[in-house]
Amino acid sequence: MIRHHDVLIIGGGLTGLRAALRISDTGLNGAIVSKVHPLRSHSVAAQGGMNASLGNVKGEDGTTDSWKSHARDTVAGSDYLADQDAVERMCGEAPTAVIELEHMGMVWSRLDNGKIAQRPFGGAGFPRTCYAADRTGHNALHTLYERVSEREIPVYEDFFVTSLITNDGSCVGCTALELTTGHVHGFMANAVLMATGGFGRIFNRSTNALINTGDGQALALRAGALLKDMEFVQFHPTTLYRTNILITEGARGEGGILLNQNGERFMERYAPKSIDLAPRDVVARAIEREIADGRGFDGGYVHLDLRHLGADRIRERLPGIRQIAMDFAGVDPIQDPVPIQPGQHYSMGGIDVDINGASTLPGLYAAGECACVSVHGANRLGGNSLVETVVFGRLVAEKIIEDVANITPPDDAPAKAAVTSVNDRIDGILRREGRERVFMIRDMMTDTMSSKFGIFREKQKMQEGLGEIKKMQERVSHASPQNKERQLNQALVRFLELEGMLLLAEAVARGALAREESRGSHTRTDYPERDDLNFLKHTLVGLRDETMYVSYKPVTLGVFQPRERVY
Amino acid sequence: MHLKVYRYREGMAAPRYDTFELVSSPGMTVLEALFHVHEQLDDSLAFHYSCRGAVCGTCAMLINKVPRLACRTQVESLLKGDLKVAIAPYPAIGETVPWDPEKEVLLEPLPHLPVIKDLIVDMDVFFRFYRFIEPVFRPSDATPEKERRMDPAAVTKLEVYTNCILCAACSAACPVEGQNPEYIGPAALAKLYRFHIDPREAEGASRLHRADIPNGWWACELYGNCSRVCPKGVPPRTAIARAVAALHKEKNEAE
Repeated sequence: MIRHHDVLIIGGGLTGLRAALRISDTGLNGAIVSKVHPLRSHSVAAQGGMNASLGNVKGEDGTTDSWKSHARDTVAGSDYLADQDAVERMCGEAPTAVIELEHMGMVWSRLDNGKIAQRPFGGAGFPRTCYAADRTGHNALHTLYERVSEREIPVYEDFFVTSLITNDGSCVGCTALELTTGHVHGFMANAVLMATGGFGRIFNRSTNALINTGDGQALALRAGALLKDMEFVQFHPTTLYRTNILITEGARGEGGILLNQNGERFMERYAPKSIDLAPRDVVARAIEREIADGRGFDGGYVHLDLRHLGADRIRERLPGIRQIAMDFAGVDPIQDPVPIQPGQHYSMGGIDVDINGASTLPGLYAAGECACVSVHGANRLGGNSLVETVVFGRLVAEKIIEDVANITPPDDAPAKAAVTSVNDRIDGILRREGRERVFMIRDMMTDTMSSKFGIFREKQKMQEGLGEIKKMQERVSHASPQNKERQLNQALVRFLELEGMLLLAEAVARGALAREESRGSHTRTDYPERDDLNFLKHTLVGLRDETMYVSYKPVTLGVFQPRERVY
Repeated sequence: MHLKVYRYREGMAAPRYDTFELVSSPGMTVLEALFHVHEQLDDSLAFHYSCRGAVCGTCAMLINKVPRLACRTQVESLLKGDLKVAIAPYPAIGETVPWDPEKEVLLEPLPHLPVIKDLIVDMDVFFRFYRFIEPVFRPSDATPEKERRMDPAAVTKLEVYTNCILCAACSAACPVEGQNPEYIGPAALAKLYRFHIDPREAEGASRLHRADIPNGWWACELYGNCSRVCPKGVPPRTAIARAVAALHKEKNEAE
């Protein structure tokens, strides 16, 4: 059966829900397709906050924040790879986006005067990060979902999108596997918005939810869109030792400090001015260096010490962190330091889109973490991803509303053909007799990505890594789940996710190998300096005849001229 | 140790229990144990998962006869008997299969919801009651230019209820839900109470009227299982008791 909507939104996190609401405002028939219930999206796990220059808290010198300061910090944090027109747009819209959520009923933490509270975050010149204790994503996602439910916007839950449908060079819908029944459905639409989040699960130490497998980026790439800056992967400095569950930067924003095995506050050596609140790339490298040099604890971690904040402040401002540390590491931060290590956290790269969220494939749009506008460049500042989701969720919806007015949808033929082709492909996978356990290939991939494309990178190791990824792609093409059923076959879904992840792993690898410089999160030990002459440009990756190729496009500069980053 | 797991799929006359042997390690969660089974022993085993950090509410199931999040429950703590929760007995947690709590962890789907496959239940009914209470903010005044001011103390009170992750552990633990499928249940009632106490709200007390029906506030028998099993410390029982008291007061004043 073929279903029709004006706009299809793939993904039900903050971006998808915000976009769905805007589209519904105009009376257009939008629908959300998601492999999980929207409330289970990874947005729900965002902790520390959302950046917006509300100016509710003055800076250290008594001055007031402005969107321009926000933009300046964001561009510097990006190591000048962000497109400055996009950054200006995001920072300009950020206060409206935060206030809008408040007007929808979101509960924010408050100052004594009743205004929305703001805390300092890394790389920011002002206390700019609006927060709801350490559950900002949870409060925002539930608020948006309440509105989506009220408006009865259709949500296809537990539908795994299997392909994008193209017709005459445009994206006209998608196919999706309904998990419960195993049926493949065709969806036709005048516009498709990808809002599927990041691909952190290609790495073995990640803060990301287990569902963050980069499905959207892989779908877009296969359909002919380009991916941008995929080599820029953020490693968060403070993830809980062993499980790598996120410990918010807000913990340092509230005054937490990092200590090595000798009890030394080592960040003083790496970032004398900002110390523990330097941007994430700087702090993650410092921790990794301390551990490599033998100043970490056995097993590879350092301490995040919150004890001096006192029990009341920890309970009030960081209750979720305390719970996580107790549940998953057996440590109460009121009494003991928290063992932390860097872990993959965020995908700066993603589907190449313009400032309005349009990809290079007409009809396909993207926003949020799965997209690369680019507002984060080579390194995202903490608190900027949540604001990106709601700002661009709305703005890209505006552009879609404008564009779909002029579109005449094709008949159902391309959708019917696509459904048949996906059914054949799934049947083919299930018919294979491959004995190899799919999870073993996944484990090899995550090991390769973390050991060869982690915080420190170098040519020879990366070349080995790329070779390994190509071999894994070959192996997966013969593998198959043991479970051959169509109905509720999660092994099949995990297999399809893995196929996509291996494509993205290759994109990260090719981008990283070709970028012979160090910028933001991408640190080459063989090219330790930033090279603006040759690499102040975006990497693009595409597929041509199933072969991946790399090209480049210029960065949109603006008032902030590239200079050395000093923190 | 062994995982004893409820297995069911459409077409089976009755569910069965499969036992999987595995080696537990310190810190291993029930969710990790399930992945071990899925990856190494039987990839047809079905269970829901997402964040693995106790924030998304996806993986609630009946673990050793108590509704809990699989990602937050450690296998060794269960075997040691450290995680006992005293909840009032009800039919759905009665004996279904013999099991040895010192050597086995018993995993079953959340009670009171239809089973789709193995540990996956159909949450539609749960969300139907969520929608019934109309969980949408309705402010008392015209939209201001900036944020509405809120007293930080009011936020602290609200947070107790906004922390709900809608995992349905409370519903599964509620003896009344087992008897009365039309009871709108502790999660929806706690959510309704959250809007009632929001100082920015227009309706104030009248919000409570939405559940002033036999299957609403009045169906609760104050067992308190809901508050005891909530993985986020949300106390639906307290919300319901306060709502009932407020409605009583309102009715008395009217008379």
